[in-house]
This record gives sequence, C-alpha cells and structure tokens, in this order.
Amino acid sequence: MSARFRRGAIGASALGLVPVLALTACSSDDGGASGGGDQVRMLVNITDNLTQAKWDELVAPFEEETGVDVKVEGPSGQSVAETFPTLLAAGTAPDVIQSIFPTEDTAPEILDLSDQDWAQDTPMADLYSTDGTINVVGVGMQAQSLLYYNKELFEQAGVAEPPTTWEEMDAALQALEDEGVKKPIGFASEWATGVQVQEIWHPQQNVTTPGWQQAVAGGTSTLGDQFQPVFEHVADWIDAGYTTADDVATDSGTQEANFIAGDVGIYPMGSWFTTTLAASPPDFEVGIFAPPVDDAADHPGPMGATMAFPYMVWNGTQAKDAATQLVEYLVTDEDAIAAQAAMDNFNREGLDTSANPYAGQVQELLDAAPSLVVPGNQTVGDFALPVAGFNEKFTEVAQGLWQGTAPADAAGQLTAWYDAEAAG
Amino acid sequence: MLGRRGARGRGLMTVPAALIYVGLMVVPVGYAVYYSFTEYNGIPSQTPQWVGLENYTRIFTDPTGDMHSSLWVTGIIAVVGAFGVNVIALGLALLLRRTTPFTAFARAVMFYPHVLSALIVGFLWQAILGPQGAVNNLLTGSGRSALPFLSDPGWALATMIAVIVWAQLGVQLVLYLAGLQAVPADLQEAATLDGAGKAQVFQHVTWPALAPTVTVTIVTSVLSLLKVYEVVLGLTNGGPGDATQTWAYEILAVSFANNKVGLACAQAVLLIVVAGILSFTIIALRKRAEEGAEALS
Repeated sequence: MSARFRRGAIGASALGLVPVLALTACSSDDGGASGGGDQVRMLVNITDNLTQAKWDELVAPFEEETGVDVKVEGPSGQSVAETFPTLLAAGTAPDVIQSIFPTEDTAPEILDLSDQDWAQDTPMADLYSTDGTINVVGVGMQAQSLLYYNKELFEQAGVAEPPTTWEEMDAALQALEDEGVKKPIGFASEWATGVQVQEIWHPQQNVTTPGWQQAVAGGTSTLGDQFQPVFEHVADWIDAGYTTADDVATDSGTQEANFIAGDVGIYPMGSWFTTTLAASPPDFEVGIFAPPVDDAADHPGPMGATMAFPYMVWNGTQAKDAATQLVEYLVTDEDAIAAQAAMDNFNREGLDTSANPYAGQVQELLDAAPSLVVPGNQTVGDFALPVAGFNEKFTEVAQGLWQGTAPADAAGQLTAWYDAEAAG
Repeated sequence: MLGRRGARGRGLMTVPAALIYVGLMVVPVGYAVYYSFTEYNGIPSQTPQWVGLENYTRIFTDPTGDMHSSLWVTGIIAVVGAFGVNVIALGLALLLRRTTPFTAFARAVMFYPHVLSALIVGFLWQAILGPQGAVNNLLTGSGRSALPFLSDPGWALATMIAVIVWAQLGVQLVLYLAGLQAVPADLQEAATLDGAGKAQVFQHVTWPALAPTVTVTIVTSVLSLLKVYEVVLGLTNGGPGDATQTWAYEILAVSFANNKVGLACAQAVLLIVVAGILSFTIIALRKRAEEGAEALS
C-alpha cells in the first residue's frame, strides 16, 4: 500500500476522530476491552499479497495446536496505522497489532515483551528496543540502502563495476548521461523522494556519525548537518541533468515501470522492489549494489533496514497470554516464518531466497554489510528521533532541491523544523 | 387549551432531531474547541493537558514554517477558485438556460464531475497531467516540449485550482440555472421591448434578480475551497515541496496524522472562525448592496 494512501487515509479518518474522542470521553472506563481467554483479535495489514485468506491460513496451525480462536481483522480504514489509534481511542483496540511500530504516543499502550526469552533473539530486536525494553518483534528485515541498476546500460556506458565511492557514482551517472540514457538515476514523487534520498545516504551517514539520531537528539549534531552532504550530491545531480523535476512528480509505480522498461540507469529503492521485479522480470539483467561512501575502504557501509512483519501486543488485552503466544508463534515458528516470507518479501539469515533471485542479491548485501542501522523515521527504540513526522518533512524539504533550493537552505529548513518540533 | 397542547406536542416532536443535532454537531465541535486549548494525542493513556492559548500561539508564530505557507495557498485557492468557478458557472448557465435535448445533455455532462469522489478526481487528473500523463505524451509525441503541470510549484498550484474549478462547476451551474429560472421573463421582455440590448438586459434585469443566488454560490464555493483536501491528496499530495499544501491538508495530513490532536483542533477552530467571518461578510455586503439599490429606486 502506498504511503500516499496511508497518509491520506490517516487524514480522512481524522475527520471522524473528534466525535470518537468525544464519545470516548463520555464512556465508562472499562472501555469494552476485547478478547476472552479463547479468542485473540489480530489487526493486520490487508494488501494484494497479504490477503485475509492467507492470514487465516497462517494462524490456522496455531489455532489447532492451542485451541485459541484467532480473529484476523483488516483495518476499518485504509491502513493499520490509521485504524489502531482510532480503536484505542474508542476503547476497542485489538489484542495483537501487525505492521506498525509503537510511537512515543502509543508506546504506553503496548505490552513489554522483554521478559520473553524468545523476543531477545528476533531480528533487529536490539535496534527497536528502548533501554533494553522490547515492545515490538518481527520476523526479518527489509533492507533500505539498495541501488538497483540496469547492467545492460552500465555495460553500454562502459561502467564495468558498480560504484563504491561518491566520485565513482558521479562518474557512472555522467557515463550513463553521455550514453543517452533517459534517466541516469530515477527518483519518484511523494513519500518516495524522501525515502530514496535517505536510502542512498544511510551508509556514509552512519560511517561519519554512528548513531546519528542520538547525536541529533543530544545536541552534538543538527539534522541539517546530517543531511546537507547528501543534499549537495543530489543538487549536483539535478544541475547535471541526471534527474529532473519531473521525477518528483512521477509516482513510484510509474518510475518502477520505467526502470523495468529499461529507461532508468539506477533506481534507489528498498528490498520490497524485488517482489515487483520478480513478478515482472525485465528483459535485461538487474544488479543491486550498496550506496557509495566517501572512502572505498569503508564500502559497503552500514545498511539501512527496517523490521519486517512487526507485531505488538496491546497492553489492555484480556487475553495477554494467548496474544503473546500467538506473537511468539508468528516470529519463531519456522513454518510460520516461511509462510510469511511467501506472503511478502523480507530477508532473514538462512531464509530460502531461491524463488526470488533479486531477494538473494539483497541477502548477499545484507550479509556483507558491517551492521544494520535504522532510518530517521524510526518511531521506537534508542535510535528514534524524539519528533514525529520526520519522513513527511524530509520529503518536502528534499523535493525543494528539484525546485532550486540550495542544499544549505534545505539543511537549514530541516534543522529549524527539528528544533521547533523538539521544543514542543 | 387544545392549541397549547398541540404546540407542546409539536415541540416534543422536535426533541429527537434536536438531540441528534446536539449530539452529532454541537458536542463534537464543543470538544474540538476544548481540545484546542490542550496538549492531547487522542490516546486514552494521556489525559488532555490544559495549555491555554499555546496551540494558537504556535499557529501564529509558525515555528516550523509550514502553516503560514499553507494559509497563502488556501487563500489563493479560495479567491481564484471562487472567482473562476462562479464566472464559468454563470456563463455556462446563461448558455444552457433554455431547455433543449442538447442543453439537458450538456447540463448532465457539466454536473458529472461533482458525482465523482474528489480523491478520484485528483488521481484522474494526475494521470492526465502528470509528467508521463496523457497530455504530455501527446505533446512530446507531436514533437513539442512537455509542460510541468505538476512538477513546477507555480504550475502545480494553477493546475490544482483548475481541477478544483472543474470538479465544483456542476453544483454552481445548477444553482445559477435555478436562479435564472426565477428571473421574471416579463421584465426581461419589457426591457427588450424598450430597446435594451442583451448586455443591458443582463446588467439591469438579470444580474440584480440573480443577486441572492450569487451570494449563495459565492459563500458555498468559498467555504468548500477553504477546506480542500482530497483533491490535494489525489493530485499532488501537497507537492512539489509544500507548493500545494492547504490548511485542511495541514490539519488532516500533518497535525492529526502525527497525533497532535490539540494543535489540529486549534487549526480546525480557526478554519471555522475564518469561514464564518467570510460568510457573514459576504452576506452583509450583499445585504448592504441590496439596501443601497432599494434606496435609489
């Protein structure tokens, strides 16, 4: 589901939020807590890949083994992110919530899973914990710092190897431009612009300032300082004509189709793009490489990644044990993990990627990365920026580069926004 | 005695409607006003904290630099859009006021966009006017340069206003057609017999008779333009940059989406106040103009 839909849906649902809040304020405190001993309600994301039938199939072995009735519910609006706060406000939150992460606002409503031994060993649990407290667990990771490239165009342009440094990256883009490639590098509109600019910067950013979010939160760095260098790279590419203003008015679906059609040399995007590639394999060979860094000795740098299939348990559930057991089953049972991998792409050490060769390439990059790092829109854990709305603001500021905003001014806008938000 | 009982009975019959109105309109708006003076995230674990005018101060000082630009965008949309939609709707109404098979068909066509969801309208025009949309494909296919309908900030705002005008035209057209039906035909005929030309008949007979309709259409169009949201989502999602972010977008896609319920409610309350002031001002101006005209006659 696109971020545009998600964001729009959140906004649209907010139209109805005030009456809901009003009704909640008038209702009794017991809030109609859901779930009994034998039933667990699980709110999940429903998409073309994650269908209701597949979810039901996924939890069926658990139901059979434990006798717990799992009621899988899709969002009442456009997304889980929109639905969960509304259900919380209405006092009818589900017992288990899939696909979203706790935020500063919702964290008090989420069960602490730190005392569960199995939770410690789940992928990225350390990067999503706050002072050792785990309240969200997942089955794998989605790599973000990936650059997909058209090997055929690279060969035609005389670029023998994918670039490892920014200098090599600039040279490769110039070679593609000289070769007459329509779009040497493809950026896309809306949420994608911000995500793509961050994706290409994760490695160098974390080489320069490991744990940069903490540096910003602690006042030893500013948000603008963190991103001005990548703004300068992007501005140079815009000036050179490798990417144009049309890119940030072209949705990611269209830009992905352009890449598959062979019109784009390099396309920065997360590992979820491998599913699209596997479904519509291009006529040319696709390579994937980790973003460049300043010094070749640092390549590959830390890999930006997010937790895949995140699950949380509502603190107010009356079926705490059953809900926790269900989450344990979903994130530790091998068959359940394999079933989820078949439903939607993610990476995990030891996971069979033979069905999707592109996912195999991603796994190789993940294995080669010295560490995983979380992006700036992380909302939970020790590496979360203490402000909300980072991605939206970053996207807005980054798009300004295509309209002529100077990198220093864009960086200044980010810093000013962060300071205002952090001050409350 | 019977009359008083009847009146009481009639009064009692209004109670359900009054309760529904109070429950669904007055109470939520009352809560919105209350929340606007609080810091609140809408989550039960946090009780609203009274912060007085802090949310309103934040709106006026705009420390993040987002809100004032969205006010400008909304103002431009409201003024240019209201002017555009009313001028075009009135012009079309004058063309289509006679009922013939063609005009009946044309009215239906003109009204059709209003039937579509605003979100769909946005997506539809994005597909038509996007960098790889139908229009630009035609232009580049015929050897011309593509136009930056959605990729240049100025063009994107103009495009959005044009799309909104297109989408709202139908309702205003119907209102103007209804208004034109109420213009006394004998007055127009008398004016024509007295030698008045078409322009003079319109200026001295039709236009004054249409005045109440014009007031209604201007007020309704301004009000709907002040809260434009879905078209923004579908067409530009506020971009490029913040070029098309409206006030309603700030409320719904930024403040509410980030659980800033208190701030969002303050923004919504200000929107209600501004809409109210504008509506009453337009109505008052209209009334004064009518009174002036009566005094002259």
